[in-house]
Amino acid sequence: MTVNGDPVDVAAPPSATLLEVLRDELGLYGVKEGCSEGVCGACTVLMDGQPVRSCITLALEAEGATITTIEGIARDGALHPVQEAFIANGAVQCGFCTPGMILSAKSLLDRNNNPTDDEIKTALAGNFCRCTGYTKILKAVREVSGQTKPSQTD
Amino acid sequence: MLLPSFEYYAPTSLAEALRIKNQLGTSAPILAGGTDLIVNLKHRLASPVAVISLKNIKEMTGIEAKPDSVVIKAGTSLAQTAEDEAVRKHFPILVKAIESIGATGIQRFRGTIGGNLCLSPRCILYNQSLFWRSGKDKCHRTGGKDCLALEKSESCNAVCSSDTVPVLVALSAQLTIAGSGGKRSIPVSEFFTAKGESPFNLTPDEIVAEIRLPIPWGPTSWSYQRLSFRSAVDFPYINAAATAIIEKGKVESFRAVLSAAGPAPIILKEVESAIKGQKPEPEMAKKAGEIALKAAEGAIVDNALAPKDYRIKMAAVVAQRAVKEALGL
Repeated sequence: MTVNGDPVDVAAPPSATLLEVLRDELGLYGVKEGCSEGVCGACTVLMDGQPVRSCITLALEAEGATITTIEGIARDGALHPVQEAFIANGAVQCGFCTPGMILSAKSLLDRNNNPTDDEIKTALAGNFCRCTGYTKILKAVREVSGQTKPSQTD
Repeated sequence: MLLPSFEYYAPTSLAEALRIKNQLGTSAPILAGGTDLIVNLKHRLASPVAVISLKNIKEMTGIEAKPDSVVIKAGTSLAQTAEDEAVRKHFPILVKAIESIGATGIQRFRGTIGGNLCLSPRCILYNQSLFWRSGKDKCHRTGGKDCLALEKSESCNAVCSSDTVPVLVALSAQLTIAGSGGKRSIPVSEFFTAKGESPFNLTPDEIVAEIRLPIPWGPTSWSYQRLSFRSAVDFPYINAAATAIIEKGKVESFRAVLSAAGPAPIILKEVESAIKGQKPEPEMAKKAGEIALKAAEGAIVDNALAPKDYRIKMAAVVAQRAVKEALGL
């Protein structure tokens, strides 16, 4: 598979999840294990541009796919606009939900660069945050909408 | 949480998948999106020998618009189904149901229409980790002979928690099921056994291949109603779907389905016969609620987060709302 732009060749048993391979084999610790049962969204990564929950995706299912983790969205040392907006708006507290949250938001903006509030909430509904109360996260995503060109994909 | 060990097959054709399924039967479940299967495996609710992935079977995904129907392959993602032009044109009720499923920003990319149809029925005493369940007795589905939610019950009463099932039944969908003996076609309403321990009329060698939605012959109005704790992620604790064809002020065709009650969707036949051939009246919605309440009393047990009595009362509410909206009132 391709991870953050680089081709990767990893051997994994059938029962290895994508989460386990990304963290334990590839050292991408930005992918977080929250609930491990596909509910909280902390493990969200982009698979062929679409958000998936890596804790309930078998690694073997990702064979041949293009994976993007939080480590892969900055460009030439510059943070992605969604990352900048999160920092500027105080949308990060403990930071555990943040990688998944940002990737879900980025995926939304790649598909729809001027979402309504309801569309943002629907897109982020699968990413739980226990710290921030979501307000500043929504504010950050609102700030970026309309400002990210749809071509800024993986 | 780690997965148990199993083999993994990723055949490149349905025929190959059927060969493997014929050999291994129920010990080789189908892996479509995996959003239900993998979770259940993590909870040790099943210990398959192998999983058969649909990943490389091109003939298991795709949507074909025919003159009289829209045919959706069972492995088609919920996202592709909801975005399809023909589906959006003829079956907006299905789009609404799909948009209610799971984590709304994430679920529909991996989840498949076949997977949602074959969603394992849910129970608050069953869908828990192995550790949690170690404090309870075994039940019909975990190697025991009783139901933990309803003592002395002969079979499992788990809830058919799918959002698309009542809609597919309301749309009179036909299923094509492939097996070692060839293909067979059944109406989706005949797919469910109402027994949680073996909820589907599928033999161990069979795979659901496609879902055929007949295009309505007249102008359709519809409603999908669901109630859940949170507005996303949670399964419905009760839901209902209704479709109507109303011409010249008269209801020519009507279907009302109650679901997320017991292990199978319930077609509210009494509601249909009371409404068909008549002019839409507000009384009909109220009557539908009463009929749904009776049906719910026979199907709902205490196996969800929401209490039994509440869900029964809400069955009347969702049925009433669905009928009212489908009648254009």
